[in-house]
Amino acid sequence: MMRKSPMKQENRQTISGADFKEYFQPENLQKALEIKAEYKEELKVAAGSTDLLVANYEKLHEIEYWLDLVKLDELKEIKVKDNKLHIGAMVTHLDLMDSDLIKDKLPVLAAAAEDVGSPQIRSRGTIGGNICTSSPAGDLLAPLLSYEASFKLQTEAGERIVKAEDFFTGPKRNLMEADELLTEIIIPMTENKREGSWIKVGRRKALVISTLTLAVVLEFEGEKIIKAGVAMGSVAPTPVRLKGIEAVMIDQTLKDLDYKALGKEVKSSINPIDDLRGTKEYREDVAVDVMVRALNELERKVSS
Amino acid sequence: MQITITVNGAKRELEVTPYTRLLDLLREDLGLTGVKEGCGKGECGACTVIMNGELTASCLVPAPQADQAEIVTVEGLGTKDDLHPIQESFVEAGAVQCGYCIPGMVLASKRLLDEKPKPTEKEVRYGLSGNICRCTGYAKIIDAVMLAADKLAVEGSDSND
Repeated sequence: MMRKSPMKQENRQTISGADFKEYFQPENLQKALEIKAEYKEELKVAAGSTDLLVANYEKLHEIEYWLDLVKLDELKEIKVKDNKLHIGAMVTHLDLMDSDLIKDKLPVLAAAAEDVGSPQIRSRGTIGGNICTSSPAGDLLAPLLSYEASFKLQTEAGERIVKAEDFFTGPKRNLMEADELLTEIIIPMTENKREGSWIKVGRRKALVISTLTLAVVLEFEGEKIIKAGVAMGSVAPTPVRLKGIEAVMIDQTLKDLDYKALGKEVKSSINPIDDLRGTKEYREDVAVDVMVRALNELERKVSS
Repeated sequence: MQITITVNGAKRELEVTPYTRLLDLLREDLGLTGVKEGCGKGECGACTVIMNGELTASCLVPAPQADQAEIVTVEGLGTKDDLHPIQESFVEAGAVQCGYCIPGMVLASKRLLDEKPKPTEKEVRYGLSGNICRCTGYAKIIDAVMLAADKLAVEGSDSND
């Protein structure tokens, strides 16, 4: 007698070869925007696919409409225009960490890109994907907030520019409309001396989702801090810019600042949760330490 | 849909679906079973291939995204009778236990040594940071990469004679 298979039929994948309806791989942005306008939220947008394929592990066949941006070479450029850096949304983490322009002008972003995942992930994952996934733990997000980045969101008919600090609305949520694509990240440059610090805390060095990240970017006139960008990841439902901390630093020199007190203020201005990667208490304590560490590092950089 | 890829030097035209991962394409359609599936989520590195010159987790690439790409798998490095110096070094250093991670390790080593022929131990660890091994504790794998660097340096000087 044949024994009945213990496997439940409904657990089997239903791959037939005709499960998906459309796979769009446009070769220019205008075409991509037209497709986005037509199919809107029905589309899954694929950039580097490093989040998309994890999120849809073993159910890829359930995706009906794909919009693959991989052939949009116009979104793979890093250039300077009107004293601003323009980074295409399809620029990879590897491109960022290898770019002399980024290393020179935005070292905190380059350092964060170098801390993403592993070589295998950095070669595929993109800055645009990191932003659109909008994870509170996205490694590039705190640096983008600290550098006061803006995002260009395009539709078939037009475009709008949104500040990074307004973009994120919740865990994996942002204010993008269904017909929009993120095409460019715009970051102001400066003639002033700008120094920064990047700290990622995780359970190991590679392939780790951040327990906490901190990006500090300070602009100096002489020794005086004239502009400050302080942002953290994995300490709130979205990456957060700590404007209260920034305000304390403005018009001061690093020597004037009480690092420990600032660290404590950081602790009281974040709202972390308990999760797999750390408890609320741990994150609050570490936040104090990383702030002090970042300021010490900045002090060394400024004096050298 | 149809894509064109070059795998280990051979150009191929293949019929794929979006939910065929590059991993599935290489293993099932092309029989290149040196590409392993470990976690299926880009964390273990067993499915590593070199795609357009860079290390890539083939489990995270929808096959259509590999259109026009150049792929190298471990089968493209050496054969059983004619091992690549990196493979030889892994054998000689005793760097292989269960072996599941090794194709990925070998490819990560290849990519590293192509860029840095004389790496420091720190650079080796960084170069292999996307590949997990649960048997060896890494020490002998790192020895193997160092040994391979020496072998390749000698080979390089020979061929320049």
